[in-house]
Order: sequence, then C-alpha cells, then structure tokens
Amino acid sequence: MITLTIDNKTVQVPEGSTILDAANKLGIEIPSMCFLKDFAPSTSCMVCVVKVNDSDTLIPSCATLAAESMKVQSDIPHVIKARKTAIELLLSDHVGDCLGPCHVTCPAKMNIPLMIRQIAEGKFTDAIKTVKKDIPLPAVLGRICPAPCEKACRRSKADGPVSICLLKRFVADIDIESPESYLPEIAPSSGKHIAIIGAGPAGLSTAYYLAQKGHKCTVFDDHDKAGGMLRYGVDRQKLPHKVLDAEIALTMNSNIIFKNNTRIGSDISIEEVKKDFDAIFIATGTLDQEQAELLGLKLSSKGTVEINSETYQTENPKIFAGGNAISKTRLAVRSVAHGKEAANSIDLFLLNKLEPGAVVSEFNHRMKRLLEGEIETFMASADKTQRIEPSQVEVGFNSSEAKSDSHRCLHCDCRKVDSCKLKNAAQQFQAKSNQFDAPRKHFIQYYSHPDIIYEPGKCIDCGLCIQTAQKQKEGLGLTFIGRGFDVKVSVPFDKSIEQALKTAALSCAANCPTGALAPKHNDN
Amino acid sequence: MCDIDLTFVDNCIDRIGKTPDKVLPILQAVQQNYGYLPQEALEKVCDITEITPASITGISTFYDQFRHQPAGKHIIKVCVGTACHVKGANLIYEAFRRYLGIADDNDTDPQKMFTVEKVACLGCCMLAPAVQIDDIIFGHLSNEHIPIVVKDFLEQETARQQKASTQDYADGKYFGEIRICLDSSCVASGSGKVYEALKTAVEQLGINVVVKSVGCPGMSFLAPIVEVVSANGTSFRYARIRPENAREIVLRHFKPRQIGRKIKNTASFMLDKILADRVGKPVTRYSIDVRDRPVTLFLEKQKHIATEHCGNINPIDLDEYLNNDGFKALEKCVKGMSSDDIISQIKLSGLRGRGGAGFQTSLKWTDVANNNAVKKYIVCNGDEGDPGAFMDRMLMESYPYRIIEGFTIAAYAIGAEEGHLYIRAEYPLAVKRITEAINKCRDKGFLGKNILGSDFCLDIKIVAGAGAFVCGEETALLASIEGKRGIPRLRPPYPSESGLWGKPTLINNVETYSLVPWIIRNGGKSFSALGSANSKGTKVFALAGKVSRGGLIEVPMGITIRQIVEEIGGGIGGDLAFKAVQIGGPSGGCVPASLSDTPVDYESLTAVGAIIGSGGLVVLDESDCMVDIARYFLEFTQYQSCGRCTFCRIGTRRMLDILERLCQGQGKPDDIDKLEELAIMIKQTSLCGLGKTAPNPVLSTIEYFRDEYLAHIEKKCPAGKCTALITYSVTDDCIGCTLCAQHCPVDAIPINPYSKHEIDTEKCIRCDTCRKICPENAIKVE
Repeated sequence: MITLTIDNKTVQVPEGSTILDAANKLGIEIPSMCFLKDFAPSTSCMVCVVKVNDSDTLIPSCATLAAESMKVQSDIPHVIKARKTAIELLLSDHVGDCLGPCHVTCPAKMNIPLMIRQIAEGKFTDAIKTVKKDIPLPAVLGRICPAPCEKACRRSKADGPVSICLLKRFVADIDIESPESYLPEIAPSSGKHIAIIGAGPAGLSTAYYLAQKGHKCTVFDDHDKAGGMLRYGVDRQKLPHKVLDAEIALTMNSNIIFKNNTRIGSDISIEEVKKDFDAIFIATGTLDQEQAELLGLKLSSKGTVEINSETYQTENPKIFAGGNAISKTRLAVRSVAHGKEAANSIDLFLLNKLEPGAVVSEFNHRMKRLLEGEIETFMASADKTQRIEPSQVEVGFNSSEAKSDSHRCLHCDCRKVDSCKLKNAAQQFQAKSNQFDAPRKHFIQYYSHPDIIYEPGKCIDCGLCIQTAQKQKEGLGLTFIGRGFDVKVSVPFDKSIEQALKTAALSCAANCPTGALAPKHNDN
Repeated sequence: MCDIDLTFVDNCIDRIGKTPDKVLPILQAVQQNYGYLPQEALEKVCDITEITPASITGISTFYDQFRHQPAGKHIIKVCVGTACHVKGANLIYEAFRRYLGIADDNDTDPQKMFTVEKVACLGCCMLAPAVQIDDIIFGHLSNEHIPIVVKDFLEQETARQQKASTQDYADGKYFGEIRICLDSSCVASGSGKVYEALKTAVEQLGINVVVKSVGCPGMSFLAPIVEVVSANGTSFRYARIRPENAREIVLRHFKPRQIGRKIKNTASFMLDKILADRVGKPVTRYSIDVRDRPVTLFLEKQKHIATEHCGNINPIDLDEYLNNDGFKALEKCVKGMSSDDIISQIKLSGLRGRGGAGFQTSLKWTDVANNNAVKKYIVCNGDEGDPGAFMDRMLMESYPYRIIEGFTIAAYAIGAEEGHLYIRAEYPLAVKRITEAINKCRDKGFLGKNILGSDFCLDIKIVAGAGAFVCGEETALLASIEGKRGIPRLRPPYPSESGLWGKPTLINNVETYSLVPWIIRNGGKSFSALGSANSKGTKVFALAGKVSRGGLIEVPMGITIRQIVEEIGGGIGGDLAFKAVQIGGPSGGCVPASLSDTPVDYESLTAVGAIIGSGGLVVLDESDCMVDIARYFLEFTQYQSCGRCTFCRIGTRRMLDILERLCQGQGKPDDIDKLEELAIMIKQTSLCGLGKTAPNPVLSTIEYFRDEYLAHIEKKCPAGKCTALITYSVTDDCIGCTLCAQHCPVDAIPINPYSKHEIDTEKCIRCDTCRKICPENAIKVE
C-alpha cells in the first residue's frame, strides 16, 4: 500500500493506483474529460491537473501513479486557474451551441427545441410539461407574445422561422381542453408563507413556482379577478377571457390563496404584511413614487423598483420585486420570467441559501453568427417543408400542422446538453466562452450514420472513440488525422462513418465526453 | 478503375516486413516509388500486412514527409530556418509561388512542374536565404533571382538528361569535367586566365579530366563561373573565380594520382571559405552536400572533441578513422573496463546530455545499467529539428564512426545488445553515411557478434524519421520507432525504466555519444577540466544570422556570447548594430546585446531566459523585429505540436493568434499581459518538453524588448520588418533608372525614366525587391 496526502488528507491506495484513484477514495472530486475507466489515459484535456510536491509544473492526475509520501494539492487557486484555462482553451476551439438560439433568446429561457421535438413525436403531454417548467401561462403567451425566439430561429435565415409561438399555444390549448390537464407535482409543505402583491403574469408565475416547492402563497390583488394587465390591458379579441380564466385556473392549487379586492398600503399596511409573511414579492405593475413609498420601496432614477438584478431582492432582504414594477419593457413573457426566477431566489432565501453566487445561469457556449454555407449544413438534416400557416388562424395549429412545422426545427441545440463533460466543467469553473478571441472553425455535421451524428467542431481530440472502436474490433474504425492544432478524428481512407462504425457507433457516442459524437435518437 | 501498378507494394512488403512497426519504412518506400502515397497502395498495404487502416492513416498524416497528392516533377524546398527567416525567406517563398503561378490553395503549379514547400532548415545557414530544388541548393537568393534560378535549373536538368546517354567515354569510364565560359564578357572578367590556370592544374596534378570551354550560362554578373561535373554526375558551380583558386577547385573534386588526401581536404576547406564567406548576391548552385561546415578560423577559441580532426579525415574512410585513434576507446572498454569503470569516467567527466535538457549522462547510464531486465535497448536521438541548428547532421555526415563508437561503448556499459539510430528524414546524406559506416564496422568486427573478440554483441538498426519535430522528444521518438504516431507520453516512467517496447532504454543525443570516445581515451578528468563549474567540456553550436563568419563551432562551455559573436563570428558586419542572440531555437530565448558577457553554459543561459538547447545560435541585428522573431518561433512550435494536450495544442495557437495580431497592427492593449499569462500556464501544464519550452522565445523577447511589443500595439514596427506595419516610398535620391519598376513583381511602380518614381501603396506587397535593387538607396521603408 502507498500512503499519500491529497489536500492535506491522508489516504492509502494499492500500488499502481493513480492520483485520481486516490482522490476518488477520499471523495475529492477531480474533474476530467478525456479519462474513462478501463481505457488507456490519453492525458489530453489536462482538466484533471494537480500540483505534486510543490513542483511548479502541474500534472494530470488520471495518469500519474500515486507514490509514497506524495503531497498532492487539488484545490489551490493555481490548480483551479489551470483547469479553468484548459476549459476556456477547449471552448475557444469549440464549434456549436449548447442551447438553441431560440432557447437562449426566450426571456423565460424555455427549452423550445425540446418542446418542438416532443411535438414532432406526438408526445404532447411531455411537451406541455417542458413548457410549464418555465412558462405557466403558455396559452396566454401563445396569443400575445411577440416571440423574440422566432427572430433568433436559425431557420429564419433559410425559409422562415419555426412557428414556435403557435406550437406552444397548440400544446397549451390541447392541455386546457384535456380532461386530464397537466398539474405539476407539489412538494410537501415547507411551513413558509409568502405574500405576493399583484396577480398579473409576474405574481401568478411566482406563486405557481413557489407553490410547487411547498411554500404557501397568498396573492393579493386590488381587482376582482386575477390576471392584471393580461385581463385589463390586452385586447379581448387577441386574448379571450375564456382562455385566460382557464389557464389561470390551472396555475392555482391548494398552496395558493387569492385575496382579491385587497390593496396593500391602504387595506392592509405593508408593515402588517412584513410581520405576517416570511417573504414578500412585489408584482404590482408600474409604481409611482407615492405608491412605492406606501410599500416602503425606493424607486431608481428610471422610475423602477431597485433590485439586485440576479436575485430580484430589494434593499429589504425579505422583499423581492419583478414584472413591470422593475422593468419598463411591458413584455408579458418577461414578467413571467421574472416571476419564475424570483421564485427560485425566494426559495433559496427561505432556506437561508441566498448567498452571493447562489443564483447561477446555465452555461451556454454559442456559435454566434453563421458563416457562409453553414445554414446549408443545418438544413441538410432537416425537413425541407416551407413554414406552415394554420388553416384556421383563430384556432391555431391542428395536430398535423403542428407536427409538420415542428419537423422543420434544425436542432441547433447540442444533443449532449445534459451529459457534456465540457459544459459541466465550464459551469463548475464559471469558465468564459470568449476568454480567448479566436477565429471560429466551420461548423460541420456528418449525419449519414443511422445511429449517430458527428460534429467534429465539438471534438476535444481525446481519442476515446478511437479506442472504443478498436476495442470493439471495428475493421475500419476511427483514427486521428493530421497533427497539432489541425488534428481531427476521422475515418481512414476518406470512407464514411457508416463504414467505419458498424457496431461500435453508440458506444463511441456514449464514451464521447462532448457532443461531438451523439446518438441520433434519444429521449430529448 | 485502379490505374496504379501495385506490384511494387507486394515487393516492398516482402523486403521490409509485415509487422506494425514497419509502417514508416513501408510508407517511405511507397512514397519513394510513387512520388506520393496513393490511397490504393495504402489499402493494399493494409490488406497484406498487420498494419490497420486506422494506423496507416494516422501515421501517414502525422509526419510532414508524406504527401497524399501527387507532387510536381520537381520539388522546391524554401528553407525557412532561422537564419533564412531573418534574411527574408518568406518573401522568397511568396516570390516563387508568384513566379510559378501557384494558386492560393495549392502547392504545385498548374503545369505540375514544380511543387513549392517550406522546410524547417536545410542546414546551410551561411547561404541564407537558400532553397533546394531537387538535389541542388541555391544560396544568397533575392526575389529578382527567382526567374534565373528556375531557368537555370531547367536548363541544367535538360543538360543532365542529355548527358546521361553520352556519359560513357571510350574506355567506359566517365571522370567528369570542368566547364568554363570563354564568352567575351566572361573573358573580360578574367575567365581566360582561369581557363589557363585550370588546365595547368589538371596537367600538374595528373588528373584525367577535361577542361572545357562552354557556352555562357547567362549570368555574366557572376563571371567567371566554373562548373565542375564530378564523376558521379553531380555538378558544382563556383562564381567569381580567380586563377589562384583553380588548383583548389580541381583538388576538391578529383583525386590526384600522387598527392595525399590530407592536402586535398585542407584545400577543400579553404575553398569552403571562398564559397561561403563571399559577400554579394550571385545566384549560385551548390550540390546537396555543399553545406555549412565547421568554421576553422580562430581556432584558439575552439576546442574540437566531437569534431576532433575536423577537416582532416574522410568521413567514411574507416582506416583513416582507425589511424586517428578510432575505436581505441571501444577496445579499451571491452578489453579492460567494467560497466562501473566506464560509467564512473562519464561521471567524472561531468558530461550532460547535449540534446537540450542537460541531464547528467552518467545518471541515465547508471539507471539502465542497474536495471536487471534481460532485454535492454539503446537509442541514439538524431532527430535534430530546431530551425537554425544542424550540428548533429554535420556530426553524422562527417564523423559517423565516432558516433558509432560512442554508442557502442554506451551499449556495452549498460548491457544492451540492440540499438536504434533514429535519424531525421531531412538528412538523407547522414542516413547514407551512417549506414555505410555501420556496414563497414560490422565487417571489421566493431559491431555485431563478439565485438573485438569479447563476449559483447551489438547490432544497430537505422530508423529514418519522417518529418516531425516533436519526435526529438524522447518518448515521441520511441513511439515513432515502434511505428506509431510520434506522440509524447507522460513521464515517469522514464525510458530508463520503461522505454522502447516497454523495456529499459538508454536514449542520448548524437553529440553526447560522439563525446564519449574522447572521454574514455583521455579520462573523465580531462573533459571536466574544460568548461565551467556545472557545464563541462565543449558544445557544438551552429552560428548563423547577422554575423560575418557563420558555421559550426565547437567551443568550451563557459565562453561568453560576446567571444562567440565577435571573436569567432567576426562581428556583425555591415553598418547595423548587434541587437541580440537567439540561442536554443524554438525552445530557447533571445539574449540582448547588453547581456552578451553571459557565459554560454546550462545554468547561465537558463538564468537569462534562454537555453543551450540543441545549439542553434542566431545573431540578430537592429533590422530584426523581436515580435516577428517570437512569432516566427511560435509559428514553428505551434505547427509542430503533436496535438495531444490542450495547453500545447490550443494554447500555443492562441498565443500565435495574438502575435499575428500584433504583427498585423491589430494588437490590443492587454495583449502583452494575455501572452505572458498564457505562456506561463503553457509552460507549467504542457505534457512534454515541446509545450513546456514553446513559450520561451515569447517570454524572453517580452522581458528584454517590451518596448517593441508596445510599439506594435501602437501599430509601429521599429525594425521595419512587419509588412502590415510598413510602407515603401521613393525618396528624392531617385535617379529614374527604372530598375525598381522593372523588377516590381506586382507593377506597383510605373516606369518613368529619368524621373522620380512613385510606389502605389495599394498595390505594393512589401516584397522588398525595389529596396534591394535600387542602386541609389532611394527606397524608404517606414
């Protein structure tokens, strides 16, 4: 046995163990991308580096054997910085988006590509779940949203964007009409109680997501009915109250109490609310100076409630604010987004976990503007049908129209978005995609294999796929071509990937640490 | 559909073998035969050998030597080594491409006559800038020579083909000939007298060779020109010959009946001086083996150990080597010294590895010697690849027996019976000479079974590299011998524990082995008496760049940079000031003139940010841009990275992006900080020596020449080198001779006789042709 220390913790491992093995034994997590158990270490990504015995150089823990009395440091700033730099270097040479441009552009960050694929496969119940994870009022927004997502849709460069807004409305409408409308699961009661002031899109959204987390919510509104500007500021032709009522009803549940015709500041004092509730969310809509003072709030020079833009917290840690109270844009989808994000902050606050850095946005690497010829690459694998218009405009898409239009999606988001080790590491180390500004390589996609898709721009040259094909005795297999910065994984003799990977394709995709090799068909 | 005759593949595999480690020699043979690697041939190789498609594809695309597309009939190799770089090699490269009409995405002209390639270093830095067309080297080029060079090459080519059929003389033997032009303009420059002198020399020496008067080669500005065609058909051409050179020329190429070799060789080296030290700009062709040789001047500063008897012995003549103490050291070892005895002499000598890192040689030997494994290997690293360094090539070409002797002694000391000599692809003559020397040694019992009557046996195999700088790294080199991509691996385990085929392996550099016989003969103490405190003995350097006398020098460690540049190199020459010395090539750094009293030894150079490395020493003057020098080296290492680890593969590329930006005038204020931060990270975290040292040229130039980096951010190149940051204009000194306009390759200067000329800056490609051709120095660069 060999005794060594990692981060001042002593551990014993059998001879032949690597530093990484020893770290695992201690429960110290060392990130790695190119290393896979039972494979020869390729020591390529260098994300697993550690410092040993005060040497200046950093060495990969996946391939370095543990030695007697070795002193390993894995958590010092020097090591963290090197790992982050390795990740940022890999990102500087990474071609592809983690999340679809539509997804990123949506103020509510709804996973649009996933919804579209679920519609395409006729999985409408899954689709409404996807939608409601981020948007509690899709039937409403499906009628009034200006759809910034569609402006970002890559297909708009070719023959018009996918009708994202109508697709969302389609799944929301059939859900409303369904006898078994989707109702989210409600967590056991937390015993906390939150006051939400205002039953517009922001207030309803906050209540919807807080209630799911087991918190009790009381929504105060000075009107008779919930809906705020959706009810009192939107053309009824565009948004029939029947739809609004039905969708609001679906957002309500046993954790939510609606107190109508109640005005905070006059009917109940804010002091009283502060006393009775664990947290307060201000979703009143636009406030003037006087109204703000009544709620004990200060307005910025822009005339909006001042908040911490990450947490929605006001000067008073117990009070949060969102919707038109903090924004002048008057966009319903933005208010819904505020509500969802504020609910997350309030939940953390109630758990005493709302520390600086606690609210993190999902890491996303972006391909940015397409280069010449790249839209054709995307189009190559998509349905060539033109953009579909609903046969009955007032009804929206029918099921076959919805499916047809959803087949037009270019699948810009990464197929490995949930499992990509590069994305996970980037998230963990808060890496910046554009730390090194570099000319981007062309986006290439090989789509011909029946089971997998190969996007060389996402390859980190670890060679695990090459080893996998070799282990599975593929005749042709894969190989590195070239050398240095231009090295790439490809098929010998310019043959196709179908010829190269006859049986090992899915294993190769599974072992690929990034989205370079991905299964063509998966659940999302 | 297959229109390629593949029977060669069958034959070559029968000859070479079918195991996976034979892949490099097979690929080399296939390329030699077809001129490139036809896919059908590679598939055939996979069909009939154990080599897999993945392996053959990975390997054939890793090494630069291999082409996957047919090349032109002739290959023009433009040397972009350091010495050539600082003398404008890139402009020459571009000019060849322009002249031959080669498209941007191609390397071959539309007629498929010429393929133009860059090569890291031809090893003839004194002729810089130099190009090699097939096996002929043209030196001291400038843009306006290119049409003449191409024309001259093609004419000679035609002549050579015609000659091939008429070569046989009546007695069946061709002795070669000496040609001289007696054209009126040549006679005017003295060719008549040279002709007479040559005839006299031939008669006096009793050499059976014809001195012929021939038609004018059309380069009268070089007259008198003497062309010598030797018995084997290779031709040499000498420019501006004087009658007193006649005898030397004759002696150099033809064996006199009575006169000893010694005289011949001495003469030959004096001749080198005329060839190489000549100032001016003639187009001169050299045969492939006319390359830089040891500088024999100022001998008192030099000490010849690795280059012992330099200039006096015929490289391949074993008897001559034996007459000069050859194999005495080996005999001493096998007949009376134990492994411990030998290693303790090496230890006493203080010898450190001459490949770059400077590791104590005796420690490596001890490790392998003490290993109880039954099978051990010994390897010689002859994969010298630094641009601007060619010491090992010279040692292998000139002293093959000394290397073999040192290598054999080491094998005996560590107990290895199988050795591999890995020689860089670009050194065909070294491969040829070493092969020949090994064969002769085997015949005489210096190699093979029971060497010199002892129990000791050793066989040496030669492995020719295939063009990958990273293979100079020991673990990459071992992978390459095993027939793999030359990818370095993590150490430990070191090769002394687990090397070739997983067995304990001693791997030293050519120069290290070549010092061994002297140490054994003279004792470790004599060696350690030379040099400085921690760096013992001598080191061979390739001195080149802006220095009056360049070439190979062997000096005691501890000599100062100033002594090398001024006393051995004869100073800068010309009007420009000495600026810096680049030492250690792409792994080294630039030492400014202000630090030129720094002793040249391992520790002192490391302390000032350079390294001894493999021994390239390029002198720079004030016309050299230090940002450009940094960019040049990084471009080299970046291109040569194997591509395995992130820091080297992408990190060096990102550094190069920044340097290119700076040289393009698109630098950003924080670029210097970014460069330094990334450089330090790459040094600390790269897997092998290539990555760990790649940032050195950048760090050392930032340290000593930060103001030049700052100037580039301000879009200025103080040295006037970075083409994007300079403009050419004509001053009032212009006399209207129209030479610039006639030579401008892009017609950026309208012809305007007897008037001041103007340069169209939009059209100008900053090729520097006009400045070089202007007789009045009327072209201004700023």
